[in-house]
Amino acid sequence: MRNWISHSLPFPHVIVTPARLCALLALLCLVLSGFSLAMQLPAAQWAEALFAPNSTHIEQIVVHYSWLPRWTIALLAGGALGIAGVLMQQVLRNPLAAPTTLGVATGAQLALLLATLFAPGLLVLGREWVAVAGGGLAMGLVFALAWRRGLAPMVVVLAGLVVNLYLGAVSTTLILFHQEELRGLMVWGAGSLSQNSWDGVLYLLPRLLIALVLAVVMLRPLAILELDDVNARSLGVSLKHLRLVSLGLAVFITACVVSVVGIIGFIGLAAPAIVRLLGARTLPQRLLWAPLLGALLLTTTDQLLQRFSGALPTMIPTGATTAALGAPLLLWLIPRLKLGGDRPQTTAMLTAPRRRHPMRLYLALGVALLVALAASLLLGQDGQGWALPSWSVWQATHEWRLPRTLAAAGAGTLLALAGTLIQRVTGNPMASPEVVGISGGTAIGLIGVVMFVPGVGLATLLIAGTLSALVTLGVLLLINRRSGFQPERVLLTGIAITALFDPLRSIVLANGDPRTQQLLAWMSGSTYYVSTTLAVVVAASAVVLTLALQCLSRWLDLLPMGNSSARALGVNVDRARLALLGVVALLTAAATLVVGPLSFVGLLAPHMARLLGASRARTHLLAAALLGALLMVLADWLGRQWLFPQEIPAGLMSSLLGGAYFMWTLRRL
Amino acid sequence: MRPLWNREGPRRPRLVVLLLLIVLACPYAAGADTPRIATVDWTIAETLLALGVTPVGVAQTDAYREWVGAPSLPDEVVDIGLRAQPNRELLAQLKLDRILISPMFSPLKPSLERIAPTSTVALYTQGDDLWTRLKKATRKIAAFANREKRADTLLASLEAHLAELRDGLSDAAKARPLLVVQFMDARHVRVFGDHSLYNAVMQRLGLENAWQRETNFWGFSLVGLKALATLDEARLVVVDPMPVGVEESLETSAIWQHLPSVRRGGVLTLPPVWSFGGAPSARRFADNLTQALHQTSRTAAHREAPDA
Repeated sequence: MRNWISHSLPFPHVIVTPARLCALLALLCLVLSGFSLAMQLPAAQWAEALFAPNSTHIEQIVVHYSWLPRWTIALLAGGALGIAGVLMQQVLRNPLAAPTTLGVATGAQLALLLATLFAPGLLVLGREWVAVAGGGLAMGLVFALAWRRGLAPMVVVLAGLVVNLYLGAVSTTLILFHQEELRGLMVWGAGSLSQNSWDGVLYLLPRLLIALVLAVVMLRPLAILELDDVNARSLGVSLKHLRLVSLGLAVFITACVVSVVGIIGFIGLAAPAIVRLLGARTLPQRLLWAPLLGALLLTTTDQLLQRFSGALPTMIPTGATTAALGAPLLLWLIPRLKLGGDRPQTTAMLTAPRRRHPMRLYLALGVALLVALAASLLLGQDGQGWALPSWSVWQATHEWRLPRTLAAAGAGTLLALAGTLIQRVTGNPMASPEVVGISGGTAIGLIGVVMFVPGVGLATLLIAGTLSALVTLGVLLLINRRSGFQPERVLLTGIAITALFDPLRSIVLANGDPRTQQLLAWMSGSTYYVSTTLAVVVAASAVVLTLALQCLSRWLDLLPMGNSSARALGVNVDRARLALLGVVALLTAAATLVVGPLSFVGLLAPHMARLLGASRARTHLLAAALLGALLMVLADWLGRQWLFPQEIPAGLMSSLLGGAYFMWTLRRL
Repeated sequence: MRPLWNREGPRRPRLVVLLLLIVLACPYAAGADTPRIATVDWTIAETLLALGVTPVGVAQTDAYREWVGAPSLPDEVVDIGLRAQPNRELLAQLKLDRILISPMFSPLKPSLERIAPTSTVALYTQGDDLWTRLKKATRKIAAFANREKRADTLLASLEAHLAELRDGLSDAAKARPLLVVQFMDARHVRVFGDHSLYNAVMQRLGLENAWQRETNFWGFSLVGLKALATLDEARLVVVDPMPVGVEESLETSAIWQHLPSVRRGGVLTLPPVWSFGGAPSARRFADNLTQALHQTSRTAAHREAPDA
């Protein structure tokens, strides 16, 4: 392991071990902290300020009650997230498992949003308890969804992803309609470490110690989880209970951290991954080094941030920054990361009996789509209530409803196609366009333009979006070229790119710029800004691409059978993957420009098609395309009518409806 | 309306006459020259109301009533949906003469233009000083509503009122520079500085703003409480509303308790005013601020008198 690593690092003669990396970071952190203290106080006063501040001396007070608690809490939070990450990754046997990817952080945030809006009394009792309850419930939901499958790693990760998306959609809806009330929570959501007393530290420290003791006690049984299910069971370990207890512990740690300092991105994912990469192979090693590395990473980032962001009018929260800094690191690591291959993987593909006569399926879906289109165009409300078709309604239809309906149908189709392709290429049921990061990459470019160019028009937005989608695709291809586009690596790259988008979004939200409304509307997938021309182009390309993609169905039938089988049957696997990924990128970029990055349809439509019995590539593509269009049109129409005259964006609406359906089917499996 | 017509008995003819009179009088009273205007921007809405024009439609009317409050929005104003996405089908039915937006909603312009002439009124953008822009924006809105004269009187009376308030302030009230903040949560505040409405009003009142650091487009910086600690001389002015639970956590917040202004006991709390408002919000903020300053200087004088 160590050999393999040292050769792939840029300086082959330097061997980087977790201990050396931590020592280096600790040195950097101490130097930065020393500088920071020196700027606030002369060295003679340090001891006094740290241990017994003179209350008439405001600089000493600041150091004692704000700087030092912040420094301490950064160490504690980073360490805690490191532990939580190790536990989750160990239990789920998945390098992508982390507190933020399993819905815990989102659950905590949603609980606080709901409490702020509907039961503010609860917040006086204790914000942290509300957050713990929310995070616990979200994780409980994930457990409930995966329970029937004995909490199999793949199903848990899939459920976590779905719950994350779903709760995120609910939160975004609430923020969209209650921007002014929820502005304080946006700061918290972006992960600010700023402290005003020792309360946070005193809250976190004992809880963390208890969790650490528990983790050490469970070391031996946890190590057994490295084996596959059958072997572990033959050693007499109750897998279900072991997984439940250790995941529960990880959730508890995460919820405590989240309730004190908000969502700190990336540390829980990166620290365990980095130490594993640097040679910490056994569980005790990782449990030692990952928290240390996490603590040092967070504290160093925070020190750097305090040093350089002080003069800016915008606050840059630390939690968002770690995520932004960590993402490039992860991108650099991906080609060097050894994934899964050596350990047996339990895959859970969702399947249903294959359908003999796909024609009947197409017909049913087609009729449903036509009915939805008609409803969306003709049925609507005005100031007085529901209005029947009339001349003025016809005008409204032509002017306002037609472009939106067409765009929704087109974008839904494009996303469904992209989702089908990527699920078949990677053979992974949790893959979807937003997971490969193209939606996120497009969104980064668009947000940048909206924030930095005042009064920007739609044309500029379109160009900026297309450019950033292409750049994202370039990054994706560059990083994965060497590995021959291995599915896991592509997914990991996508998550890293999306991890770059999230902090940007939370920084924008945290600073409460009133322009966030428009951004939020776009990010949540609204068809509002679509022009007739754009709508027609999108719809037409959706139809053309659906038909054109039928030519690729041979690749799509063969690729899921595995590299060697596909190669034996005469497919140039690398080239096929590259071509298909290119198509996915373009499909996603086009759809994202229209309805934003929240494309739950790309995950949902291929799944539903499969559950309806479309197992061959040709059938799968066509059924998914029809379903995608149907889902998006329905979502768009319902979103326009439900809270009339206020509109719920189509992307959010489809997440709300589709997510509920998806969780239901997942539970049944 | 319906209950009136359902009533029985001899009162009905009188009511009919009354209604007829109202109907006849309405266009006259409201001014036949008053265009039907809708706006997505609350600052434009409050300025229109201050000019005596009731907009036909305003975005998120419930939220306006909660966050802007005064001047109060009459019930007949139609809620046209979210600010960033006003409902165009509804707007098209309102038979509007004009739609007013602010630059941050400029992507809406091409499609709103198809419903009614749409104009942009810029207030919170980069450029010259906010007070000049506020006057310009008020005049521009007034021009769209055919209320140019009303705008002149509104602005003149505002200037006169502020000058009067300034002259009424004692030296004790002016002694300390002010630090105007709004709490986001127990750890973070918005501090209002250059480019903000509050700052512009304070300048007119001859009050010094202690926050001299750079601010964003909207005239505020988002900072942790720590950033306020080193401004020894400043008097803190907290603009409500406080988020839930913040007052309780400030009790145990060591930094808050040690802030110079808190230790001196001179923190002022003002009732809510829309922080990104126009002329009406400026007037209310000035009234609230001077009133609070008078009160503290009076109590301070009262407290010091026995010693002297």
